[in-house]
Amino acid sequence: MGGVSTSHVLLGLLAAGSRHGYDLKRAHDERLPRARPLAFGQVYATLGRLQRDGLVAAAGQDRAAGPDRTTYALTDPGRAALDEWLSTVEPPMPYVASTLFTKVVVALLVADVDRARSYLIAQRGAHSARLRELTAAKADPAATLSDVIAADFAIDHLDADLRWLRATLDRVADWHREVHP
Amino acid sequence: MRPGTLVRLALAGTRTDTARVVLTALSALLATLAGLAALTVLAIDKPPGDAWTESEQYRNALLREPGLRGGTAFALLMLTIPVLALAGQCARLGAPARDRRLAALRLAGATPGQVTRLAVLETGVAALLGTLAGLGLHLGGREILHRPDAQGRLALPTDVLPSTGAIAAVVLGLPVLAALATALMLRTVTASPLGVSRRAPRERGPRPWAGILIGVGVASFAAVRPVAYRFDGNDEVLGWLVPLLFVAGALAAMIGVVIGTGWISYTCGRLLRRYARRPPALLAAGRLMADPWAGSRTFAALLAAVIFGAGAAALRAYFVTQDQLQRAQSQLAGADGGADPFYLSTMDLVDAAVAVAILIAAGGLMVALVEGIVARRRAYAALVATGVPRGTLSRSVAWQALTPAVPAILLALAVGELLGRGLFPRAATGGSSAQVCNATAALCDDPATRERYTRIVETPGAERVPDVPLEHLAWLGAGATVAVLVTVGVGLLFLRVSIALDELRTA
Amino acid sequence: MTQLQARGVVRAYGPTPALRGVTLDVAEGEIVAVTGPSGCGKSTLLHCLAGILRPDAGEVTWRGHRIDTWSEAARSRLRRTEFGVLFQFGQLVAELTAAENVSLPLLLAGTGRREARTAALTWLERFGVAELADVRPGELSGGQQQRCATARALVTEPRVLFADEPTGALDTLTGEQVLTQLVRLAREQHTSVVLITHEPRIAAYADREIMLRDGLVDHTGLGLDVPLAGGAR
Repeated sequence: MGGVSTSHVLLGLLAAGSRHGYDLKRAHDERLPRARPLAFGQVYATLGRLQRDGLVAAAGQDRAAGPDRTTYALTDPGRAALDEWLSTVEPPMPYVASTLFTKVVVALLVADVDRARSYLIAQRGAHSARLRELTAAKADPAATLSDVIAADFAIDHLDADLRWLRATLDRVADWHREVHP
Repeated sequence: MRPGTLVRLALAGTRTDTARVVLTALSALLATLAGLAALTVLAIDKPPGDAWTESEQYRNALLREPGLRGGTAFALLMLTIPVLALAGQCARLGAPARDRRLAALRLAGATPGQVTRLAVLETGVAALLGTLAGLGLHLGGREILHRPDAQGRLALPTDVLPSTGAIAAVVLGLPVLAALATALMLRTVTASPLGVSRRAPRERGPRPWAGILIGVGVASFAAVRPVAYRFDGNDEVLGWLVPLLFVAGALAAMIGVVIGTGWISYTCGRLLRRYARRPPALLAAGRLMADPWAGSRTFAALLAAVIFGAGAAALRAYFVTQDQLQRAQSQLAGADGGADPFYLSTMDLVDAAVAVAILIAAGGLMVALVEGIVARRRAYAALVATGVPRGTLSRSVAWQALTPAVPAILLALAVGELLGRGLFPRAATGGSSAQVCNATAALCDDPATRERYTRIVETPGAERVPDVPLEHLAWLGAGATVAVLVTVGVGLLFLRVSIALDELRTA
Repeated sequence: MTQLQARGVVRAYGPTPALRGVTLDVAEGEIVAVTGPSGCGKSTLLHCLAGILRPDAGEVTWRGHRIDTWSEAARSRLRRTEFGVLFQFGQLVAELTAAENVSLPLLLAGTGRREARTAALTWLERFGVAELADVRPGELSGGQQQRCATARALVTEPRVLFADEPTGALDTLTGEQVLTQLVRLAREQHTSVVLITHEPRIAAYADREIMLRDGLVDHTGLGLDVPLAGGAR
């Protein structure tokens, strides 16, 4: 899913005008401040794939800057693909699958309640620490709205995870009895 | 709703609700006693004869003389005013909590009618129990006090009973009245299941309409005499016009003073807010301005009693002056009958009634004050938690009660005095002539010689404006102020006990 | 430096134990969140620390002085001068304007009216509600009321601010704004904060979190000694 998103982000960034690869990487990191930073290799690989599918086209080369500085532009099929992607709704959590959830289940299967509980507690500690970090970043007077909104997204998810962790800690003994009757 | 459910929900109160029910019953009892006493006095049969024939079976002139019985009954009825005001104040005891409970019932789906029926049932039944107990007490007292003296004369009119219809009107009418008043006070709760939440702020204080009402009251009392002269002999007109002027005037003046207290509270609040330096006065100022009618409600009964007392003081001053004039005249004519104590001893009885009224009113004041404190318990607890000393809160309660009380009592004294003075502006005796015999008894007794020594002494008519009974009014004002001080003192003791920080847990 | 210390604090309401021996330290300028499920004794702990309630057993120490043995008047003075107290709602005096409410602690301390009003306006300004200075609480929104209450709690520049679910009655966004301002201003004047909450996202404003469970500190709560998977975030 991540790869698909990267190509759509690049298409979106090109919708405002043609850019070369380095620009695209910088704009990506600025607009999605707390996303995993994009590697140059990934930018060029994705652009190559998009060019192959006819969604972007090379629009010229900045000679002074060397061969890597090819400028790319959005093609009409590319615009159509972007439109289609934007007008579809993401399925809301089609599968309950997360490493966090899976790990607790496995811990209960292979070990006892204490193992599962200590994992939950450790995870809660890590979640709390991260939540505190993001809250501090968000409260920083220098934070831009992009920073705040990105932090909010993560805070809300961590908050939900923490509630789940707390409730599951209270239920883990009963749960274990259900798994090992 | 089944009757069982109705009763269960009506009984679902706290101790405060129990206290309210007991006090409602008690005030209904007191009102019944006063009302039945007045009716009994009115029920005394006038023996056949002219208008002045006395009912010889009573020891007390107030009961014996037909001309005085009306006044006696009126004074007894006046006693019901502070009692009814007390009932009104008792009805508000714990009312915010009850209103919340009733609002919760509305939220749970009760119709406005069902909720009203609940509250009306509570008040009506409590009042009915009170009036029935009052009736029982009256009938019992009648038996016990029926003790003719050696001449077979009675101290009280224990030989007559009001008509059954009149008794029923008091015993059943008072509960109906109480129930109607409750239904009226519950309008806000029944209108919305949310009860009284955010009230619109008061943009401006009460307007001084009270002045107009007081003016009307004083004017109608002052009009009684001219009207009586104007329609002299026309008993039909006088029969309804004079009582109308009395009742309308007294009501207008009392309502005027009570409303005026709202204005006084607001104005005191504004002045305090402007000049207050310390938090207690500032807190009191805020409360006085936010709810100026609290003062009116709190002091209504007391002020009614003070007006009545001040009117009685003016009346006494008139009687004293009249008596002095008459004595002066008798002395001119050569005779000295001494002071005539009749009217003054009557006034003593009226003053005793005023004292009782002030006592009852002080009871109502206490109820209202404690209720105000209980209603704010949570707010007080929050303030104490943030470090506001309890002494500051006590002082703010004292400021809040005393600041409007003193001017309001002064106003009530002035209005009462004006009413009495309007009725009897000046004492007067008409001119008279008397034959005086200036000789020995023997000479005077002899018809032959008497003529020579006898002369006619002409006494000119005299008029005097009675003095303002400053001393009497001062005593009355002091009494009322002391009543306020004592109740505030007791209220403060209650405040100390009632600020439990446990209130914070329900936050 | 340790400002506030609780040692084995026990407190019961009748037969119901609320605290069963809580020990904790609050350092100068530190923001400590106390979390836990409903009924775990959070509010009781705050009331004991702030000197509102006396513990049945144990000690509460303020800068080396045992305050749980002080008289109510002395603790009242301490709360007025060194502490600030903030509740979920309903702490403003309904009959006084916002500015009068905020200046109340200063007036109690004997400050003149004009001076107190100036300070109140400054604090209302800091919370962005200066234009509501002459409005009564009944006409304010929940968020505005809570901003005024926070301004009142901070106007005496207290050493410790006790906040019991200060954003509990507010929506998420408003609550965050109020809390962000509170934390920023507390840090500026090195005020310690004891923050009671049951929400993880509110506790995240604190430097440290203490979890209560059944009247005791739950030490297993926040283990951080487990390595993070993949060594990255």
